[in-house]
Amino acid sequence: MKPEFELFDRREFFGVVTKTAAIIGLAGGAEGSAEGQGTANPFAYDISRFQKTDPKLIAYEEVTRWPIPHKDARRLAIGPEDQLYVCAGNYINCLSRTGQRGLELALAGPACCVAVAGDGAIFAGLRDHIEVFDSKGGRMARWESPDPKTWFTGLAAGGKDVFAADARKLVVLRYDRTGKIAGRIGRKDAARNVPGFIVPSPFLDVIIHRDGLLRVNNPGRHKVEAYTFDGDLEGAWGKSTAAIEGFCGCCNPIGLAALADGRIVTCEKGIPRVKIYSAAGEFESVVAGSESFPENAHACTDLNDCIHGGIDAAVDSDGRIYILDIVTSDVRVMQRKG
Amino acid sequence: MLRRLKFIGALGVMLLLALMVCAGQRFPPPDFESGYRLPSASTPAARQLWLQYADAGVLLAALGIAVWLIYRKRSRRGLFWLSLFSLAYFGFYRKGCVCPIGSPQNIVYGLCNPDYTVPVTVLIFCFAPIVVALFAGRAFCAGVCPQGALQDFVLIKPVAVPLWLEQALSVVPYLFLGAGLIYAGTGTGFVICRYDPFVPFFRLSGGLFILTAGAAFLLAGMVVGRPYCRFLCPYGGLLRLASLVSKWRVRVTPDSCTQCRLCEQSCPFGAMREPAPSGTHPKWLGAERKRLGWLLALLPALVAAGVWAGSKLSPAAAQLHPAVALAERYTRQQSHPIQYGLMTPEALSLERAAEDPKAVLTAAADLRHRFDLACGLFGGWIGLVIGFKLVALSVRPSRTDFEPDRGACLACARCFTACPNERVRLGLMPAAGDPALS
Amino acid sequence: MDAKPPVNGPVTRRQFLRNGARLMAMTGLGVAAGALATRSTGAAWVWQIDPAKCLHCGNCATQCVLEQSAVKCVHAYAVCGYCQLCTGFFWPEPNALTTAAENQLCPTAALQRTYVEDPYYQYSIDEQLCIGCAKCVEGCSRFGNGSLFLQIRHDRCLNCNECAIARTCPGEAFRRAPVEHPYLLKTTSR
Repeated sequence: MKPEFELFDRREFFGVVTKTAAIIGLAGGAEGSAEGQGTANPFAYDISRFQKTDPKLIAYEEVTRWPIPHKDARRLAIGPEDQLYVCAGNYINCLSRTGQRGLELALAGPACCVAVAGDGAIFAGLRDHIEVFDSKGGRMARWESPDPKTWFTGLAAGGKDVFAADARKLVVLRYDRTGKIAGRIGRKDAARNVPGFIVPSPFLDVIIHRDGLLRVNNPGRHKVEAYTFDGDLEGAWGKSTAAIEGFCGCCNPIGLAALADGRIVTCEKGIPRVKIYSAAGEFESVVAGSESFPENAHACTDLNDCIHGGIDAAVDSDGRIYILDIVTSDVRVMQRKG
Repeated sequence: MLRRLKFIGALGVMLLLALMVCAGQRFPPPDFESGYRLPSASTPAARQLWLQYADAGVLLAALGIAVWLIYRKRSRRGLFWLSLFSLAYFGFYRKGCVCPIGSPQNIVYGLCNPDYTVPVTVLIFCFAPIVVALFAGRAFCAGVCPQGALQDFVLIKPVAVPLWLEQALSVVPYLFLGAGLIYAGTGTGFVICRYDPFVPFFRLSGGLFILTAGAAFLLAGMVVGRPYCRFLCPYGGLLRLASLVSKWRVRVTPDSCTQCRLCEQSCPFGAMREPAPSGTHPKWLGAERKRLGWLLALLPALVAAGVWAGSKLSPAAAQLHPAVALAERYTRQQSHPIQYGLMTPEALSLERAAEDPKAVLTAAADLRHRFDLACGLFGGWIGLVIGFKLVALSVRPSRTDFEPDRGACLACARCFTACPNERVRLGLMPAAGDPALS
Repeated sequence: MDAKPPVNGPVTRRQFLRNGARLMAMTGLGVAAGALATRSTGAAWVWQIDPAKCLHCGNCATQCVLEQSAVKCVHAYAVCGYCQLCTGFFWPEPNALTTAAENQLCPTAALQRTYVEDPYYQYSIDEQLCIGCAKCVEGCSRFGNGSLFLQIRHDRCLNCNECAIARTCPGEAFRRAPVEHPYLLKTTSR
């Protein structure tokens, strides 16, 4: 009986195998060498839904932008005549209301924070001490910190007190005008119901609110806390969420400012944005959304981690908000829309 | 990637120190109260330097043993075991890297880029087999190369490749060598390493394309002897050139050849050559001489044509360089934007290019100039290779015995046992007229 | 070894040319080897990632010639903030701050979260599970201190002559490091 099928002979076998291998090889080659245009990254970290700001929430528009003369800007503050004082590099630069460069103070080290009192005295916070200048830039005093492991990142100057926020020791020091330590605010104290600051990156800020209380950010807890000058915790507000009404990431807000009517301006990093909350802590509007800070988003991947990223804000007597972009080294002047 | 890759030797240590100095500016971790101590990152050490020198030592020893086996012992069996050892050591243990086949790229890269210093072990891997080839022929191919050994082991039934095909394909290794060296010299990458079909088997992993190519080579290698070695290996091309001028050559037998023709079919690699009369018939001598003269005169023209053709290839060839590809992608994106996925390498590289487009474009323009020169050289080289091939085909070697071709012989010692004189000499067979026979 | 022509006979033209070519080749090789060897420090090179240039694209997980990449995430504990809400560990907007799979960023749960003291948590990497995809690195760098970063692990890396990941890296973050100091770690001094 004739067999139903015939075996390949050797040549046919090798021929078939070679052709099959060639086809697989070509197909694999075509697949392997395609550049993957438009294909997705399966490991992409996608927060794009949080990076879009609803335009209806944006209440301010940018009027102008001024560059800062030095790199590594950190904080800014408003003087009694609405001048801007910016810490950048080892200098404090003064800019007038129209952006004209004025006074420049040279410091021995990097300037971390600045505050100006009502009488024009300038307090320049370096990492471990504060230098005091008069309004003309004459050196007046040098205030030391009681602890060698200090890292000042925020200053606020009132009539009789100067408050220095120490991000490393997790405390706000209260200095009197002679440079003596008059009190410590915010240290963890169960008896006084003070939970303590959590500050994973050097962004602790303090402002003096018109209601006579301090406002200090507690970035690790996503809260803005109100303290009396003596250190009693009067209240705290803030929500942990990447959505627009809360504070995103692991440690925000990083900067605070107060409007004349008591509302609070907050600055965040990671999804960089500047927002306004009511005095009671309800989200109200956006000054500048994350679309305005494209360079800031990846600042924290720099070699020196988050020290070289972030934004800060200050408010002048007309209600204009100045935003300092640390990465692009410029100040943006924001005015209320309409 | 390899574009301006900074190979910092001692500078690496300095950079680490600089990192640590900058790091002093970092914000320190929390002060823990519970006595928690910060763990440190584990840093498993890389393979130590002395082991790499040991590899070079093993290579030299294996080369020496191969030469001894081919010329003194004249033992196919010995070479078989040596190549098995080489497959195990250089192939599966060392995963085929660093290997002599790719090392000319490192040499050229080191010569063209002052930033990169070629390690001494790589120098040994590159030059030792060539020096051996200059004296003793392709002993490396015979017993030391793991890729060759792999192909040898899958060879079941060798089939003769038609001569015209063999001669044509023998130009391909020089193409590959030229391409590999210009890509190495311009800092694009090591394409010889990229397209080595057997190393993925040694690593036991690889992409679909290269594994299929490797499988195809092995399948082909079951009937065609050592296809990669003969038709693709760039280092084989160098060894072929070196062994053309070698001091000692592989002969079927040191004894005299009796023209019995038993060895003629014994070479699986088509390297056996038959005797050719030393003088041509006077009738054809004039024509042959004229043809040779024409070909020699054609040589510079071929080179010039090659240079011209090569420089035309330059824009396409340059695209393989990542910096040029980035610049092209960036330029294309300005006019015809493509939506790349979130955080895909293309999107990220475009973002990075957008930070400083001028630098990206000037760097790419510089590279294009370098490629113009390099591709011109490549074209000229190919012209030279083709010209020499044609001249070589027209030159009559004077040969009175059956002997392997100097350049093509892989010194595998298979032909020794085909020759009856050699068998007698080695004591494998009693001689004719020996009383033991009757 | 060469039976023809006889050793004591006159040198043929071919032999002379051959010897000359061999001599030239040896000289050329010697010059090249000498030029390169004098520059060589005797060092050998291994591949490493510069964390400052890494763009967290995910290629390290997919392009390595090995099945499971030689690149893994490494934690610089001295840079970490020990946050309860670690953005390298948690998915943005987690349901709860627990180790439930739905809340985690890491596709293989290689990042492990352990309580230290209030309010600090330690985050460490199980290298057996890590695939080197850089999701946690992106999360940590974007919002946090950037203490998580990728490094080539030299107990796994084959040290290919041409690193397959290096040639597709969009940040050009791969460079050669000497064998004695094969890591480029993010560090801090206390």
